[in-house]
Amino acid sequence: MAGDAVFRQEFPVKGGDFAKAGAVACRIKDLLKELGLDAPIVRRAAIASYEAEMNVIMYAWEGRVKLAVSPGEVRITVDDKGPGIPDVDLAMTEGYSTATPEMRELGFGAGMGLPNIRKNADAFRIESWAGRGTHLEITIHTNGHQL
Amino acid sequence: MKETPHYHAIHITKDKCVGCVHCMTVCPTKAIRVKDGKARIIDEYCIDCGECLRFCPYDAVHSHTTSFAALDAFAYKVAIPSTVIYGQFGSTTLPNEILSALRRIGFDEVYDPSAICELNTAAIEEYLNEHPQPRPFITSTCPVVVRLIQRRYPALCRQILPIEPPREIAAKILRAILPKALHLPPEKIGIIHLTPCPAKMVSINSPATLEKSYLDGAISIRDIYPQVLNSLRKSQDDALMRHLFPETLFSGIGMGWSLSGGETRGFKNHRAVAVSGVQDTMRVLDQVEAGLLQDIDLLECTVCPDGCVGGPLQVENRFLAKSRILQLVDAAGDRAVIDHKDMSRLYHKNFLSFDHPVAPVETPPLDRDPVRAILKAKRREKLIAKLPRKDCGACGAPDCRTLADDIVRGLARLADCPFVEKEKR
Repeated sequence: MAGDAVFRQEFPVKGGDFAKAGAVACRIKDLLKELGLDAPIVRRAAIASYEAEMNVIMYAWEGRVKLAVSPGEVRITVDDKGPGIPDVDLAMTEGYSTATPEMRELGFGAGMGLPNIRKNADAFRIESWAGRGTHLEITIHTNGHQL
Repeated sequence: MKETPHYHAIHITKDKCVGCVHCMTVCPTKAIRVKDGKARIIDEYCIDCGECLRFCPYDAVHSHTTSFAALDAFAYKVAIPSTVIYGQFGSTTLPNEILSALRRIGFDEVYDPSAICELNTAAIEEYLNEHPQPRPFITSTCPVVVRLIQRRYPALCRQILPIEPPREIAAKILRAILPKALHLPPEKIGIIHLTPCPAKMVSINSPATLEKSYLDGAISIRDIYPQVLNSLRKSQDDALMRHLFPETLFSGIGMGWSLSGGETRGFKNHRAVAVSGVQDTMRVLDQVEAGLLQDIDLLECTVCPDGCVGGPLQVENRFLAKSRILQLVDAAGDRAVIDHKDMSRLYHKNFLSFDHPVAPVETPPLDRDPVRAILKAKRREKLIAKLPRKDCGACGAPDCRTLADDIVRGLARLADCPFVEKEKR
């Protein structure tokens, strides 16, 4: 029975689709609220998934955001097909950004994306293959979630 | 009075309701269902935005505001109108004439709100100076925005800037001064807001940030309009006198408060962004909740289009009303009528602050038990796949997803969908 208690949903994200920026994060946020998670947990998941979604929109060709919620944790996995990140350690530095001037003009690319995901996650894993794509795994515990 | 979360100023008149789906489809919080041929509002979800009131073609949605006759309970009647009223009577009627017409129809005194609006702008700026974090703060003038945040964006409650709106501050000042000046017991003095929307009534009867509202009620501008118009028509000579000897000095900074962007027009050192309309407000609050817009100091949100001037209980075509108010703003220019020292004194005495912060109001999750909530969410996805995705509303829910949600919550049945039924047959 416990194995059944995982809610999964997948959301496709298209690279360059700035008009839909934040739509996936917003749906994830609404779902987590409906599942009864505490507001601070929902907010951390919303911020982390927004940054992850934006990374796909800004840099990749296409990607998928997968949400898996079990009573103990929220896991957000993002796989994209894209250029990948040549130096992951450097990309994890606050303020480092490869955003184009156009992206910055739109208010994106302050170099806070990946660090911000790490800050809001309880566990964060990133793997990237140059020229192929990036895989992110964000885990947020729902410990505060005592119902 | 502590907040009773489910008090509402909007109700459906059953006799007039024909059970169509107009109100249900425009409701931004999906708070309406049509059951047994009548629309029904779900109290927990309603934020009193008035969209249903705007869109009902059968006049079946009514708002509960104070009646003029109810003021007879008071020995002395004071009106604090919204500045929206200045835009209601054409392009040649001056604010002073309108205030004077309100006195003639039965108010003992009427106070211009523009000065207090200016006071508020200055107090908000002082607060921003003293509080560099968090960003952005969100204004509390629109009671619907406060209620929306409490229910849909609970994490943003702490970002609501804790200065009371002008209508409450004006009433608080008058409540402190008038009993002594008039030698009347406070309960004999009725202080009434003249409102362009029903939500002000909710903030008076069920305040989110005060123990008790300083106002005794709110009369709809729509209700009082005919009497004011009539009185204005009868007083041409009086109008000439008001033109030549104006008795109130209007604030140029406060005059435009009822227009979107008006609350922050007087800002000198802060970046403010104004959003109006309920859908756009929700879109922007979604962004704030995702951690965006932190480079903005203040977000001014009003759920009516173009600000309070687009309120459902005003009368004039909102574009004309807006144009008239802009004329008045231009005429008053940057004229300030408030002494900064007065504001600072009131501010530091906490006279302008909330009694208590805005508290989140829980919207019921799918289930209180986390495992059962997850199982219900999974079942809901399966149901959504079975539904036609036409979002026609024939089942009594605003869209297919909401029907699926109602089903897993035990509030509806799959058979309520006429398309699913057909396939079975």
